[in-house]
Amino acid sequence: MSDAIITFKNVSKTYILYKNDQARFKALFIKPRNPKTNRALNDVSFEIYRGESVGIVGDNGAGKSTLLKMITGVAFPDDGEIIVDGKVAALLELTAGFSMEMTGRENIYLKGYILGLEDAYIKEIEEKIIEFAELGDYIDQPVRTYSSGMKMRLGFAINVNIEPDVLVVDEALAVGDASFKRKCKDKIKEIINAGTTVLYVSHNANSVKEICPRSIYLRKGTVIFDGPTDETLKVYEEYKESVKNKKKK
Amino acid sequence: MFTSILNEHKGFGKQIMLLSKNELIKTYKGAVIGPFWAVVKPAFTVFVYWFAFSVGIKKLRDVGVNLGSHDPFTIDFFTFMFIGIIPWFFIQDSIVQGSKTLRTNRQFITKVKFPVSTILTYTGLSRLYVHLFLAIIMYGYVIFHRVSNGMPAFSVYDLQFFLYCPLMFMFFLALSWSTAPMAAFSKDFESLIVSVMSGIFWLSGIMYDSYGFTGFLKYAMLVNPINFFANGYRNCFLYNRWFFEYKTEFVIFLAEFVVVFILGIYNYNRLRKKLPDVL
Repeated sequence: MSDAIITFKNVSKTYILYKNDQARFKALFIKPRNPKTNRALNDVSFEIYRGESVGIVGDNGAGKSTLLKMITGVAFPDDGEIIVDGKVAALLELTAGFSMEMTGRENIYLKGYILGLEDAYIKEIEEKIIEFAELGDYIDQPVRTYSSGMKMRLGFAINVNIEPDVLVVDEALAVGDASFKRKCKDKIKEIINAGTTVLYVSHNANSVKEICPRSIYLRKGTVIFDGPTDETLKVYEEYKESVKNKKKK
Repeated sequence: MFTSILNEHKGFGKQIMLLSKNELIKTYKGAVIGPFWAVVKPAFTVFVYWFAFSVGIKKLRDVGVNLGSHDPFTIDFFTFMFIGIIPWFFIQDSIVQGSKTLRTNRQFITKVKFPVSTILTYTGLSRLYVHLFLAIIMYGYVIFHRVSNGMPAFSVYDLQFFLYCPLMFMFFLALSWSTAPMAAFSKDFESLIVSVMSGIFWLSGIMYDSYGFTGFLKYAMLVNPINFFANGYRNCFLYNRWFFEYKTEFVIFLAEFVVVFILGIYNYNRLRKKLPDVL
């Protein structure tokens, strides 16, 4: 019907805060009675359409990370429904999910299998990834021997070269030295221009404005505003001001 | 219900093989004699038990076995213990390592989308490779033992290995569907498993004949699935007995298998979605 690539329907997520390890052990067998909870997402609903670039803004602890984890399929909601219709690449923690004893090349295949790619397709993009990551002969060495910069480069190269349908980007992304950083920024722009759906998480209002025409503002797990970025940021700024004023009083 | 675990395995065959090979490399890499540790450690354990019981305590030179269906006979202690302890090494590793697996592979659970139950499969497979290697050495010994006692080197009963070994793999894989998520949830559960293991060894018929009891104990021994496998391997290589000859034992085991299987699926499904939050 609609062309939504990501759909959130009344999604809620509550983390249970166990008092101590005993409580956690007990919870394996008996449901805890009125435990302390933290509601990370509260009845969140929205749709993101193919080719859209959407910013997600909010303070720390607003539920941004939980939201992204759900889109990438790592975390699951307690209530509600999430539909993601396509391949998701995440530029969040680039060095995560590597198998340290395997070579860079094997890790490319591993990551490809996880994303459900076929051998033939991975072979096609393999060289592109190695070239982009600037790893040279290191590609056949175990990832354990890589410097942290090399690991990030490989992680970035894999994620952007699998031709994702959805790209999730955290602005606080560190990818090594300046020249590679520029290369990454260019690549992200290229992906956006190619019509890939992008989710962009940031504290920085300007960079969101630059990339995303639409933004969602989260506060304490609730969607406060969802609309054109200018208006979203206005609401966000106003709230920040009101908090500041309260403190002054 | 089972479909959740099955679906996670669909299309991941190659990945599981790749990771199980990698797991094996990870275990033994960095040591000078590398893969030989897979043999040295069990060999030393076998030596210690043989020394303690046959040389030290001097009592256990021969083990009398009465299967009921066959005439009672005796087997020298070393051979008896050796055939039983080979599956035990696999069982011990499967229970202890199997319950720790999700915690040690947490990067696949909390950082990327991953078919979590396949973690248990590929780590299990890497243990199976080690077991098969040890089993080949054991078979070499069995042939040597037979020939030196004037028996034919091969026996049709040996073929039952291809029943007992996969059954053992499946049974302890299904067990880990329960224990691994629970141990990931609670470190206490993991410690509990580790601390009861040496007790379980002495409660199982590895060093002694679990059939050699009467009354209540005789049936209590049948409930222990480890006995089923230790005796199963002896069925193949020592007792010349088919797995279906002792029906009570086989039926009890199958019933336990079904229970462990269903509990495993239940516990896995119950805890799977909470894992990323607690690890």
